[in-house]
Amino acid sequence: MRRPRTEAARASARDEGELIARVARQELQAFERLYRMYQPRLTRFLTTLLKRPQLIEEVLDDTMMVVWQTAANFRGSSKPSTWIFAIAYRKAYKAKLRWPDPVEDPENDTRVSTEPAPDEEVHHRRLHDSLVQAMDRLSPDHRAVVDLTYFHGMGYREIAEIVDCPVDTVKTRMFHARRRLKQAMPGSLADWL
Amino acid sequence: MADPKRSAAGPHDEAEELLPWYVTGQIDRADRARVERHLLSCGDCREQLAVERRLIDEFQAMTPEVESGWARLRGRIDMPVRAALPPPRQPFAELWALLTRPAVLALAVAQLAFVVIAGGALLSLSRPAYHVLGSVPVPADANLIVIFDPHTTEGEIRHALGSAGASIVGGPTAADAYLLHVAPAARQNSVAKLQADDNVQLAQPIDGVVR
Repeated sequence: MRRPRTEAARASARDEGELIARVARQELQAFERLYRMYQPRLTRFLTTLLKRPQLIEEVLDDTMMVVWQTAANFRGSSKPSTWIFAIAYRKAYKAKLRWPDPVEDPENDTRVSTEPAPDEEVHHRRLHDSLVQAMDRLSPDHRAVVDLTYFHGMGYREIAEIVDCPVDTVKTRMFHARRRLKQAMPGSLADWL
Repeated sequence: MADPKRSAAGPHDEAEELLPWYVTGQIDRADRARVERHLLSCGDCREQLAVERRLIDEFQAMTPEVESGWARLRGRIDMPVRAALPPPRQPFAELWALLTRPAVLALAVAQLAFVVIAGGALLSLSRPAYHVLGSVPVPADANLIVIFDPHTTEGEIRHALGSAGASIVGGPTAADAYLLHVAPAARQNSVAKLQADDNVQLAQPIDGVVR
């Protein structure tokens, strides 16, 4: 099993909690540290949810502004990451209502590199491209659950808090998303295992 | 968006649903035991376990390029706080206004002379006035001002600040001045290090008390 919930992970959540307490006292240096910790993860998450680069920056900034302005309301009943990702999810949802996804560039799927590549690399690229395309075809709700599980290593309960739905719904969304992803993977099972 | 047509009724469905979190380790103890019990007797799920691992590897490799946006966000923090603050004291406001005027950049010598003089004028300012520099109540107050040569790279700035043990708490202004915080006890040393740096046009303590 990967990424077991270790003492280190709990310590990290504690440190982040202390950082948020300092942010609540409007300590800019603490906020900058928190921002630098979360910016890559939130950008990744928002990139999964939103397809407009300028919107990703805007939602990221809006999210962190909420953190800056409401850190005093964080009571520690959930992990800091759950609280911050939940804000990002809500902000992304509101932004999506204002700016629906752009129409896909039809050449996107067919554009290929002319550089020669070893077989393994070609195979890996095909798998990668297939997964990216399959993810694009999923709904934002499903994409969020997949990204939070596979990339951010979050558990179903934490994801349920972030996307504000029952735990069973998270499991169901993940089940359907995995099925779609697996269908999209090229070749047979043995090819990419 | 639960699918009403599908419910995890049997042990197989329950276990299959939980496989991603079993692999990442983010799973309750009881659920883990349930999955492990099921895996003993289900070849399909054991195969799915390998698929899950592959998917996780693929997703973890898909890290997008992340550009640093702190400066952008920092700019947003300034505005409301600045609006909420009372008008700054006059001598400081004059210094700040001058530093933020682009023309000052063209007059590097005059600027240098002014800031040195203004440094003395700042002697009389109390600590809370420095909050205006960063436009937020920054506990680590600015106690040093620096202007880098316009051709200095970001890496060189980072190196210079790192060597001096300084962190940026304000700026850049239109004149590219940065307000720094260094440990008060080590400030003299930090100022000397910055002044010795070829990329630094100006490095000056701004409360006039170099310990």
